[in-house]
Parts: sequence; C-alpha cells; structure tokens
Amino acid sequence: MTKLLITEITRMGPAFCVIGLQRDKDKIHSVRPVSATANSWLYFPYHRGDVLHCDLAPFAGAKPHIEDRVSTRGFQKESDVPEPEVVAYLRKAEVANSLPDLFDCVLHENKHGSGLFAKPVDPKRSICGTETRNLRLELCANELRATLALSSGEVLRDLPVVDHDWRSFIEAALAEHRGANRVGRLERFLNSQFHYKILSCPHHFIRLGLTRPYHDLCWLMLDTLFPLPNPEWLEEF
Amino acid sequence: MSTGKEESRWNSLVEECFRREAGSQTSLPEPAQDLIETGVLDSMGWVSFLRALESASGLNDLGAQLTERTPSLENVLRALREGPAQRTFLEAPRSQAQRESTPASVILTSSCAALGSRTIPSEEIDRAFGMPPGKLRLRAGIESLAYAAEDENEVVLGARAAQQTLRSAACGPQELDWIIATSETHHGYPSLSALLHSQLLARETCGALDVGGACLGLLNGFAVAQALMASGKARTIAVVTADVHSRIFLPGTVAGEFGGLFGDGASAFLLKSAIGPASQQVYGLGDFFFGSAGQYAAAISVTHAPDGVLGVHFDGEALSRAAITKLEKVILDVELRSGIARSSAQGLATHQPNPRLVTLLAKQLGLPQEKFPVVARTFGNLGSSTCGVALDAILQSARDCQPGARAPIFLASLGPGLLFGGGWLFPA
Repeated sequence: MTKLLITEITRMGPAFCVIGLQRDKDKIHSVRPVSATANSWLYFPYHRGDVLHCDLAPFAGAKPHIEDRVSTRGFQKESDVPEPEVVAYLRKAEVANSLPDLFDCVLHENKHGSGLFAKPVDPKRSICGTETRNLRLELCANELRATLALSSGEVLRDLPVVDHDWRSFIEAALAEHRGANRVGRLERFLNSQFHYKILSCPHHFIRLGLTRPYHDLCWLMLDTLFPLPNPEWLEEF
Repeated sequence: MSTGKEESRWNSLVEECFRREAGSQTSLPEPAQDLIETGVLDSMGWVSFLRALESASGLNDLGAQLTERTPSLENVLRALREGPAQRTFLEAPRSQAQRESTPASVILTSSCAALGSRTIPSEEIDRAFGMPPGKLRLRAGIESLAYAAEDENEVVLGARAAQQTLRSAACGPQELDWIIATSETHHGYPSLSALLHSQLLARETCGALDVGGACLGLLNGFAVAQALMASGKARTIAVVTADVHSRIFLPGTVAGEFGGLFGDGASAFLLKSAIGPASQQVYGLGDFFFGSAGQYAAAISVTHAPDGVLGVHFDGEALSRAAITKLEKVILDVELRSGIARSSAQGLATHQPNPRLVTLLAKQLGLPQEKFPVVARTFGNLGSSTCGVALDAILQSARDCQPGARAPIFLASLGPGLLFGGGWLFPA
C-alpha cells in the first residue's frame, strides 16, 4: 500500500493526468499513477492536497515518464493537507533553478512556432518544480499560455497551462452567464490584480512537466501554478 | 478595407505558417474546418501556428483576437483583415502632411516611481564622506537620501516601477512594442533594457533600447518613443529610468560635496499611441527639443580610469551657474514653443541637482516653489530618475484634480556636455 499526496491534476482535452508525492525514507519524489489501460483518467474525484492510499506496481514508465506507476486498485482518501503545506512538500521534491537542470537535459526552442521541447531520450524525469521571478498568463485563441522567468533569469515563453484548477477558473471566467466583454475583463484581471495576487503569495510555486512523446518530441508545459485560483476572484472582474 | 495585394499576401502567409506547423506535405484544410476538433492540429500546434503568423505578420495580438472563435483558417484570415492591429501595421505610411494634421498621437497613460528603500539622514552621509555633520543639509538643502537596500539594483527598482505602471493601466507586458531604458549608473551587459525585458516578461518581439544622456535620459527616451509611434512602428512603449548611485559614488572615490548629493531611484511611464479622443484622464506628449551647450562641458566630467577608479571632475560653482542658466532658458523656450504660460503649469518636472538650485530656479522664474515636486531634498539627486520621480509626483497630484482642472506639465533637464532638453505634456 502506497501513501500518495496529490499535488497535480492536469487536463489536456477530456482526460486528467494525476501526480502525487511519495515519501521514500528521507526523500520525497513524484509518482504518476496511471491506469493499466491508459496514461490518464477520465474521472478522478479527488483534489490536490488529498492524501490517498493506493496500490501501485513497482516498475517505472518509459523515459522520460519514469514517474509512471500502474495503479492496481482503487484510491482511498485518508486525509488532506492545506495548500501551503502541499507546496512545502513540493519544494522538498524534484526542484531546479535553471533551464538545463529542470530535466537534466537540453531543451530546444521551436524554430517555426512557439514552445520548448526535449527529445524523449534526453530528459532524466518528466516533472520538476521551480521558483519564478515573474510570471504572466495570457489567452491566445482560447488557449491559456504562461510566460515566466526562472530564478536564474532564463525566460520560458508561451507554455501551455494544463493545470486543471486554473483552466477551470478561466472557463468559469468566460462562461456566458457572466455577461458582456468577458474576454476583455479576464485579460484586464490577468494583467492587473492577478499578477499581484500570485507573486505576493508566500507559497507561489510552479511545476513544469513534459508531454508524452508527440511526433518524437516532448513539449514543455506548466503543470501546476500555486496559489490555486480562488473562485471569489471571479467577483472582482 | 484590404486590397487584393494584401489579401494575397495574407493567404500566402497563412499557408506558409500552416505548412510549417502541420508538415509541408499536408493539404490545406477547408476554410471553415475546426482545426482542433478535426485533429488537423492539436491545441499546442494551433497556438504555435498563430505565434508563427504573429511573428511573420507583425500583428502581435492576432492570438488574442481569436479567443472565443472557432480555430479555423477562415477566422484567422478574418482576424488578419479586421483586427485593430492591422490598421496600424498594414496601412500605407502616412504622409508628412497627414502626420502634422493629427498631432498629439502619443498619450501617457500611467506612471510610477520606485525609490531605494533605505532612508539615510544626510548627516550620516556627511560623516561617511568625512565632511562636517550638517554640511549637505546647510549647503545643499538635502535632508535625507534614498539608498538601495542590499537586494536592490537598477533592474529591481526599474522593474518594480514598470510593473506597477503596467498594473495601474491593466496593460499586459505582452502589449509592449518597445522598452526604452535609461540609466547613468548601469553600465554592464546585458543592458538595462534587456534585463527589464526579461524581468517584465515582454514578448520576444518587443524591442529593447537603451538611451543615454545621464540626467537628460528620460526626455531622450520620451523623444525616441514619440518618434517610434509617429512612424507607426509602435503602439505601446514603456520608458523606464533607474539609477543606483550609492554603489558608485563611494567615500574615498569621489568628494563628498559631489558623491554625497546622489540617491537611488527609478521611474516608469507607459506611453500609447492614440488617434482620436482619449478615453481616460491622461496626458498627451507635446513637443520635445534638445541641444548641447559645449561651453559648459568642463563643468562636469566623469571618466573611468584604467585602474578602475572613477575620475570625477566637478566644478561646483561653474556647474551651478550653468545649470541655472540653461534650465531657466529651456523652461522659457518651453513656454515660447508651447504657448503655455509657465505660471499656469500643473508643475515643472525638472532636473534637481540639489534643492538649493531648485529654490533658486523657482525664484529666477518667478514661480512658487510648490510647482517643483520635492525630490532632491528627501531622496537626493537621482540622476536620470530625478525628472521621472518629479513627473510621477505631478501626475499623481493631477489625478486628484477635478475634471477640467488639470493643467500642462513642463519638463526640462540637463546632462553632462552640457546637454539640455525640454518639452511639455498636456491634458488629453
């Protein structure tokens, strides 16, 4: 039986990807429970901060998704921990402060469009936490994108944001019942109050991940952004 | 209205960028086809395609215009044809006569100042420089100085001012077309504008430019920004000043009568191009003029000797006389060129070498001292940021005025050379 602290729930299309932290003696490392038939979940009723009991097969997934473990039985919730504490644990897991250290490999720039990628054989892991000097979110043609500066000063541009909570927040902000000029109001929020709310938060922290190989490339994405969005912020714009 | 030639150009741009993303052998989808829904591109590929188009066309807000629209080639082409950015990017260059008939096309929408977070009484500076306590207060009128804390430098202060300025205007850094920076103390590379570009997370295609001029730097920056906007190549520009003297003018390297005058600070201004009536309580940029009075060049010079020691030549008496003479003349020229009486100005954002000279300048011009914001007296001479911090203070006070009660603002500054420059802002 494995005890897992759920730290990430990401969403691309209809499927969820889940990552948790597992304590192994003095170390804390990331584990991605997957089902026996797919790499993602179509239904996952738990939340970040939940501590779950589960049975995971001991073997690791293919590179670079070495954190994959097949879940052989259902999850059982034991307890939950507050958001700042989740971040405190994440800071003890995989963390890097510069671009080459994120996945212990060279990241390449997409010369024709946007984004960064790694070749699947190069990365030593597929998830890593980091501190940021600055971060901004923007909407580009219905897609949420992040640009951020690492503490090393390196700037990562135009990363897709797959954090489930943030994507849900953006969807809620753009819901039709919220009235006119929704996009403009959201952009105004992202360009003003958002920045302060995020960067002034003592547990501001992000985790970056790599996609599964797609046309033989693993793309960099923003898996998790702490603090998580507060539904009350929707009343502010 | 787009011409056939433009239409053809957009079509070929869209086709080229699409093939780069989807593969050179991929056939072009139907115009109305949902590219994501039908699996032609995934969401990452869709954004990547749009970014390539933005870069190729120079229409930086293309992606933003496509929010809440179906991801199809038809909508991309429609956004290219109808997007607001297209009007400035693809229109034919305006003639001289057209430009002159639409003046005041640059507005200042927001501003902010950031000062070194340590406040040091001037007596402490007197002691540090081996001068009798009270000398700076009695001779120069300086009561305290703003010094940068250990974790503050030009980039930190400049970024702080710029971020607050952007936030006040709810303007995302992705909207910036240029960052124009000036500093008399940041001499390393990457330059200040490049570092601010990274700190602010501006778009990769946002330009970064450093302008010189020392204490005249802000006015130089405004003039460059105004010219970029007049040419139609930019719509949104941040002009940032940042100076940290306390790490350069150290006791033992320069005389206290000079080094003790300076403090640390930054300022930032957001400029936008505006055609038609302004929708906010903002100021428009008037004209700027510049020159260099070489006869005063010997009054001040700063050089870096090969051994790293700062070589400061500073003739206090000559510099004071030159500063008063030129600043007064520049302000009178602003009055003449603008047709605005100096007495009716909201305030004067001028260089402030030291508070005594500000008092003298006010007296020479017959103006109440309140027209000159208090900068040098409490923060010290902030170099290129003096004028910026003063301008920000006037703009803040103007925001409290009743509608219609705001008045023009005069700007005047000097730099070693003796460079000089002036200009004005007017309520838009």
